[in-house]
Amino acid sequence: MPESYPREHIEDLVDDNLEWNQLHDMMSDFKDADRFQQVRDVLQERVDWDDPIIIPYADHLYVVAKPDGRWVIKCDCGHEFCEHDENWKMDALINVRDSEEAYLEIYPEDMHPHPDYMELREFFCPGCNTLLEVTNVMPGYPLIHEFEPDIETFYSEWIEEPIPTPETESA
Amino acid sequence: MASSEDDPTTQHDAQILSIDAGGTMTDTFLMDSNGEFTVGKAKTTPDDESRGFIKSSQDALEDWDLSVEEGFPDLVSTVYSGTAMLNRLVERESEVDVGILITGGMEDTLRMGRGRQSYTGYSYSDRLHVNTHKHPEPLIPRNRIRGVRERIDVKGNTLVPLYEDDVREGVNDLLDQGVDHIVVMFLHSYKNGEHEHRTAEIAREIIDERGAETSVMLSSEYYPTLKESERLNTVTAEAFAAEPSRDQLSNIQEAVDEQGGTVGVRVMASHGGTIDINANELARTLISGPIGGMIGANYFGQKLDYNNLVCTDIGGTSFDMGIIIDNDWQIDYSPEMARLLLSLPMVNMESVGAGTGSYVRVNPTFDKIELGPESAGDQVGVSAVETDVETVTVTDCHVAMGWINPENFLGGDMPIDREVAEQEIKEQIADPLDMGVYEAAQGVIDILESKLRNDLEAVVTGEGYAPSNFKCLSYGGGGPVHTAGYTKDLGFDEVLIPEWAAGFSAFGCGAADYEYRYDQTTSIDIDPDLSMEEAAATAGEALTEVWTNLEQKVENEFENSNIGRDEIDFQYNILGQYQGQLNSIDIESPVGRVDSPEKLEQLLDTFEEGYRRQYSEEARSPELGHTITQASVRGVRDVVKPEIPTEELQGPEPPADAYKETREAYWDGEWLDTEIYDLHALQPGNELSGPAVLEGAATTYALPPDCETRLDEHRVHHLTTTE
Repeated sequence: MPESYPREHIEDLVDDNLEWNQLHDMMSDFKDADRFQQVRDVLQERVDWDDPIIIPYADHLYVVAKPDGRWVIKCDCGHEFCEHDENWKMDALINVRDSEEAYLEIYPEDMHPHPDYMELREFFCPGCNTLLEVTNVMPGYPLIHEFEPDIETFYSEWIEEPIPTPETESA
Repeated sequence: MASSEDDPTTQHDAQILSIDAGGTMTDTFLMDSNGEFTVGKAKTTPDDESRGFIKSSQDALEDWDLSVEEGFPDLVSTVYSGTAMLNRLVERESEVDVGILITGGMEDTLRMGRGRQSYTGYSYSDRLHVNTHKHPEPLIPRNRIRGVRERIDVKGNTLVPLYEDDVREGVNDLLDQGVDHIVVMFLHSYKNGEHEHRTAEIAREIIDERGAETSVMLSSEYYPTLKESERLNTVTAEAFAAEPSRDQLSNIQEAVDEQGGTVGVRVMASHGGTIDINANELARTLISGPIGGMIGANYFGQKLDYNNLVCTDIGGTSFDMGIIIDNDWQIDYSPEMARLLLSLPMVNMESVGAGTGSYVRVNPTFDKIELGPESAGDQVGVSAVETDVETVTVTDCHVAMGWINPENFLGGDMPIDREVAEQEIKEQIADPLDMGVYEAAQGVIDILESKLRNDLEAVVTGEGYAPSNFKCLSYGGGGPVHTAGYTKDLGFDEVLIPEWAAGFSAFGCGAADYEYRYDQTTSIDIDPDLSMEEAAATAGEALTEVWTNLEQKVENEFENSNIGRDEIDFQYNILGQYQGQLNSIDIESPVGRVDSPEKLEQLLDTFEEGYRRQYSEEARSPELGHTITQASVRGVRDVVKPEIPTEELQGPEPPADAYKETREAYWDGEWLDTEIYDLHALQPGNELSGPAVLEGAATTYALPPDCETRLDEHRVHHLTTTE
């Protein structure tokens, strides 16, 4: 087990360019000690803004530290959704497929759920229109707040590092 | 190289040659008519395996001052096993292109595989975690698989006739793609092969018309067994992996002929016998596990009158266990190879990824010692200074504890540095855990041996057996150093260690019967309300017919090698169950025909007896009637087998020249003066008590302080604990 993988290997991991056996080895082995920081560095380098990434939140989304001390959820296009402990889906553009017609745009005939039982909700970024998430739920089901990370505990007890701030990152 | 004795002046006639061509090295085991043996090694030559084979044989023969030309004419038995076939499967790469015709709608059978295939062959933790599961790459790409409309049901009735135009179109398309073999697999063809046979006729016509050299292989001819996924995998493996090896095997035979040999080369097959290189079904020589040891153990048991054995084999990478009851092994009908489930009969063994070369590491999350699953294999460990192993292994721990003599590893062929072992154990294991070096090394051995003990107990008691009814046989190069540890307190009747433990698997290959075996899925019901006469006239006739057909196939295979029917011993087996059950039990039939009431009754009585033994008297339910789910025929022909040595018993005191020295070794937290003996210089009848270490050419037998050993007249050690 390497204590730390080379930078290129982590970039391939982020880009999903690893062969299955490489990926399998990584999963089966003890975890490399600096995986989180390395992945965070790769992601940080790829975005066009300077707010330090605190954690990757979901595909295309991050929790970042703002100069005024707030932690917000931000898309890689730069659009900022909300505070890190709020539900970003409330601020997303939502397309709801709840009719036969809307389902048939993307499903073959007879291969989709019945619109009375299930609707498809597609969440888009208002900044870049990227499809960020899809949920398939009963009509009327609330927008669930799925993930509220405990950032302080993660940094203090899991990786034992200080939480990035705009000052530490630019230094 | 290692050999059974050191006096080169003795005349030897090389009788039995068994060769194991591995990925890197080709090992040879040579035995003479007195049961004395020698071992040779050479690099494997993948382009033409016969060169490596000759070199390795030469290396072995040199120990007896013989050249290949002098040695080969005396050979009476030659058994070859190679990994080339298995490698094609593992690498998913073959010299040939294969196309498939399959029942329309089932074209994705290979791609979908079985759920189990997404994790078979993985380590325990990778099997548990879903994120490490992944379906293996199919052997054949989707564009070489064509559907044919047809359907036969589970009873063999035609539901949809064969659409012959689909066959023509599919064959032409596959030929356009230049395939070398066309595999045909239709649903339930094991029950009714008509559609497959008609398909073969049409395909061969087209192949002839087009002047192609493509061959056609039918699943109903090769592996007529239930479960289409396994059946397709197996016939495909036959075409993809086994057929290309025919040339290699012919080269080996030619090499033998050229050197004046007159013996036919045979290949080890998964069912536990050897078959001719011209056999129709070659895929069954794909062997992934070390079944040679099981065959050797069974032969050993038959010769020395041990009926029930638990076989344990420790090598560099794995611990393999198997059970022999009443001098027969159990068969696994759906073994896994290269992450594919196949429909082949294979000698059943359980394997766990722990061996003498297993890596030892400290899990940084939990601060505890973990073993494997990866290993240094034949690279031994960090103390083997000529290798580039960086992680401590189990063997390194034994070296540090003084159990293994650094000067004598593999007879001194592998230089070992004890200081390196101690230093690395300190840095990698002891310091992070705040322990002493020897304490840590002892901890590693304890963890390994308790793991092996648990696995072994699970294999025996998990099957419902009591260890006290078994003798535990220990072999493999790494076996005897651990035997006392992993058999401790399990309550085996006896623990046996043959002196030739390191060469036991190769010995087993030499001891394998010349045997063909054919199996066929059946669904023959014997209803409870029938009289024995009625049952014999219906079910009895049906089973007899299946057996007769299988017998014919066995006969045909032997005929390929010019062996007549009168030289073959037939044995008849069934898988049977009470009607409505899910699992069948394996029964060796006392009769080869059941078309009369008396004979059928004998078979049913044998089934009842087998059921009683496996489950209990109370579990028997003959009132439900019986179903025969599979019929098998084994045909065996006598071959020359290795002799088990028999020597005159001497006194309990070992001869003076067997004693080598006294050195300190670490046993259970203490450094004790330990007597070191030459394993091969001990005499039958000698008794030793621990702590002692018996050093052989390729193995080390460790005798802890509370143990005793006695060497019997067959050069087999009997290990006991003193209480």
